[in-house]
Amino acid sequence: MNPPDNGVASFQPVHRPDGSATYTCPLTGFNVLGAVNAPIELPARRDALKPEEATLEVFVKPATSSPAVGERYVEGILRNLLGAIILGREKGFPRRGVVLTLAVLEGGDSKATGRGSSYLTLLPALLHTALLALLSASVPMSMYFTTTIIAVTPSGEIICKPSIKDADEAASVHVLAFSSKGHLLLTESEGSFDFDTWEKVHDRALTICHLPEEASAGNGKVEYAVGSTWQKWLAESVEDYIGFKYAYEFA
Amino acid sequence: MSKEAPLSLAERDFILDAVREGVRLDGREVDQLRPLRISFGREYGHVKVQLGKTSLVSRISAEVTKPRDDRPFDGVFNIAMELTAMGSPAWENGRQGELEPYVTHVLDRVIRHSNALDTESLCILKGVSCWSIRADVHVTDYDGNLIDAACIGIMAGLQHFRRPDAVVKDGQVIVYGVEERVPVPLNITHKPLSVTFHTFCDGKRVVYDATRKEEQASEGDLVMGINNAGDLCFVSKFAGAPVDAMTLITRSSVALNKVKEINGMIDKALQSDLAERAKKGLAEESRAENDRIIA
Amino acid sequence: MATPVYLLPGDEVPSDRLPPTSNAPLRLGPGLRLLSKSHSRSTKAAPSDHVIVATEAGLLKTDLKRNAASVLTFPNRRYIATPNDLVIAQIHHSSQDYFHCMVTPHAPHALLGQLAFEGATKKTRPMLKQGDLVYARVLSVGVGAGAEVELACVNPATGKAEPGGLGPLTGGMVFDVSVGTAARLMKGSSASAANQQDPVDGLVVLEELGKKLESIGGFEIAVGRNGKVWVDCSNGGDSAIRATVAIGRCLTMIDDHDLSPIDQKKAIARILKEMKLDL
Repeated sequence: MNPPDNGVASFQPVHRPDGSATYTCPLTGFNVLGAVNAPIELPARRDALKPEEATLEVFVKPATSSPAVGERYVEGILRNLLGAIILGREKGFPRRGVVLTLAVLEGGDSKATGRGSSYLTLLPALLHTALLALLSASVPMSMYFTTTIIAVTPSGEIICKPSIKDADEAASVHVLAFSSKGHLLLTESEGSFDFDTWEKVHDRALTICHLPEEASAGNGKVEYAVGSTWQKWLAESVEDYIGFKYAYEFA
Repeated sequence: MSKEAPLSLAERDFILDAVREGVRLDGREVDQLRPLRISFGREYGHVKVQLGKTSLVSRISAEVTKPRDDRPFDGVFNIAMELTAMGSPAWENGRQGELEPYVTHVLDRVIRHSNALDTESLCILKGVSCWSIRADVHVTDYDGNLIDAACIGIMAGLQHFRRPDAVVKDGQVIVYGVEERVPVPLNITHKPLSVTFHTFCDGKRVVYDATRKEEQASEGDLVMGINNAGDLCFVSKFAGAPVDAMTLITRSSVALNKVKEINGMIDKALQSDLAERAKKGLAEESRAENDRIIA
Repeated sequence: MATPVYLLPGDEVPSDRLPPTSNAPLRLGPGLRLLSKSHSRSTKAAPSDHVIVATEAGLLKTDLKRNAASVLTFPNRRYIATPNDLVIAQIHHSSQDYFHCMVTPHAPHALLGQLAFEGATKKTRPMLKQGDLVYARVLSVGVGAGAEVELACVNPATGKAEPGGLGPLTGGMVFDVSVGTAARLMKGSSASAANQQDPVDGLVVLEELGKKLESIGGFEIAVGRNGKVWVDCSNGGDSAIRATVAIGRCLTMIDDHDLSPIDQKKAIARILKEMKLDL
């Protein structure tokens, strides 16, 4: 059997926001609920708004504590990545806000959500939830992305989809995100590693996230048996939901 | 803080006309609760409450801290509720609106000040260390009656939660990991819940478990905190026309029935979750514990 | 029937799934945009150096008659005003020349001219107050960053309330549905005259309710693309309120659950029975 699958995503778990999604990561156990309101007016931020574009607000709420520095830090990462792909000049969006709220409802180990621990293990779950929520709110984007976490053990072995324990024991941990065209969008690393290791991590992450056209068209079986790629998983999640919602179109 | 979008005149008038006839938008009776679903997450103290289209998640957590200087025998218990844009587009992240302090105040009164959680039992070593229990309420969907939903979430969470075991040995506090010793439930002294009514038509009509639109059309709310024994631990009525004493008394007996009914639902949910856990072998911890006792 | 094409932002629309290029220009709906192709990797690409790329996730829908392509997106999204849409707007306040209206909550107000009503003059214009509702058409959405949405309850060319029914909505009740459901309801009501039998976009709720509630005097309905449905049963006498509530519950039900036409009819029958309207 393949290693554990990519986790469970569901769209529109809540009613009020314009778009929402939950995502549960099977290995780390993180369960994140994301909600997007867009485009809406941000009355209190009127003077801080960009005149020609939408303003992206990201808010990360931890499960059992008040938001603090760690959350502010990941919010920054999310804002940079998502801000680059959201088309904030599309009709209805300039001078409005895209408000993204992510609540971590359940976090792997209780230790992992404690203060001072690494945020990298949580980052892929946050990024995927954010993307799913933005898709469900139909916020226009130039592309989508997929992301994964990779741990490197002290002996140099590469672990794909590490558990919290794997990440704790690793020499270095890397989170990479790739655009739907296979371009590197984000890399965040922690620990000590050399450039060769990073190159290896990058290549491996690319095969996990992004299915190259040649491989999908080729001999059918992909060499690295990592379940489906993140890209395929994402597309299937969207197809399932949209296909169900528009079932009457096919009747 | 922006407010919920105001109701149109048509909506307000219609809701009032309907209430006068005893009809509600979702077809409920005036004293009827919306469908309530209580479910639990993988971790202890993780509760999902779904009340009609209002939903929230409450998380209970524990950590060891130093007791307050003036109360060396008491542990600490806090309720943290922050409304985010997830629950309603009218709520802004990082900014407190009017609703948040009000709801927090009522929850504090009904649950914390009524001593539902026995804080003395949280003391580990007098004046040195104690448990600090924190209840986080994440409102995920807001369609009225936040107070009752949050109360249900917190009370169910407190009953579901298991904290790690801790002992004092030679003046040293040892906290056992969940794998080492069976985590212990919290000491709940009584199970109070809030019951929120909304008043209409100069206080002549009283409606239970209002939706967001009904809340907006109403004159004000009437909140009662009651436990299963019928002890009234909180009553508030801050706005709207006066409600006569008889109404208040009849409502309080309605409230008592509601509390019994909801507590019954919480008990049922707790039991089925426990059974589920036992089946899934999540009770392995307890088996390991038994082995140790035998050995 | 061809396999459905699901799109994610950044995906190219396969050129063989677009309406064949004829003399008429291709019309792109929201969620699609035209990009010039800079790096042509695949060799079998169309001779044109442009590609159509999705910006929103959804199902590709093409209309051969109108030579149009659009994306059917997640139905719960927020409404964004598009010219010619019919919406139900709520008056927020009025100024010298305009009524400032709320089309979607927590979004900037849309403008409705004080004289943009059928037969309105300075003396005969409707005196609308805060909280009143109007059924209006989106006249323009403006361009650029400071664009304001303008509404009208009259066709500026003819001076008539076209299509019929535009103008203030008095009495009744408004129910909220998702933008996707509103679009389906609207399509259904505009096509219902032609073929009563087939459900349009899988919805039979309005036809069914129309039949069942005929005996109590029927009802009036206005569907706004912004996810609002106005219902009035004022002919219903004693059962007017219960009938309105029943219609609202049916609308909420089809919005929350994806029901087949048969299940919709069953659910409607159940709700009418619960509301004691099954005479």
